Amino acid sequence: VESRRARKKQSPDEETRGYTALVSTDQRQSYKDDFNAEYDEYRLLHAHVENITRRFTQLDAQSRKLAPGTKEHQKVQEEVLKEYKKIKQHSPNYHKEKLRCEYLHNKLAHIKRLIADFDQRRAQAWC
Amino acid sequence: PGAGDANCVDEILKEMTQSWPPPLTAIHTPCKTEPSKFPFPTKVSLAPVAV
Repeated sequence: VESRRARKKQSPDEETRGYTALVSTDQRQSYKDDFNAEYDEYRLLHAHVENITRRFTQLDAQSRKLAPGTKEHQKVQEEVLKEYKKIKQHSPNYHKEKLRCEYLHNKLAHIKRLIADFDQRRAQAWC
Repeated sequence: PGAGDANCVDEILKEMTQSWPPPLTAIHTPCKTEPSKFPFPTKVSLAPVAV
């Protein structure tokens, strides 16, 4: 198991690199199917990370507006710790989920780009 | 809170506010354009241009 994991870690985008320029509409359909197969998982993970990032960005902005040492500033600091503990408790795999989402983002973006390139080439060929 | 807590909060904020790209949109259905289905009838495109 360890060696497989290590290999996976060594070349995380090996699978992504396997997707090369499209040459047929059948291939387009197969790439699109692959994209759709992971798109729902990607969107769920993305929304989760986005919500959490938004929450902490709000707290960060609030904290910057307040002078350190004041009661209000301390309250925001405590809120940051509380939110962070909440994530550790409810989403112990948050870091892994974020990495997985980044991986899927790059992979799906690559597939989407190949399909867009193919569509563009085809559109030009017909004109 | 002590300095340790403040450092801890700074670290948390740094980690949790890393920029996050907007989500990828879905792939649109393929354009059904075929060579035989030009939007303009051949007649029109071949008509002499009035000068």
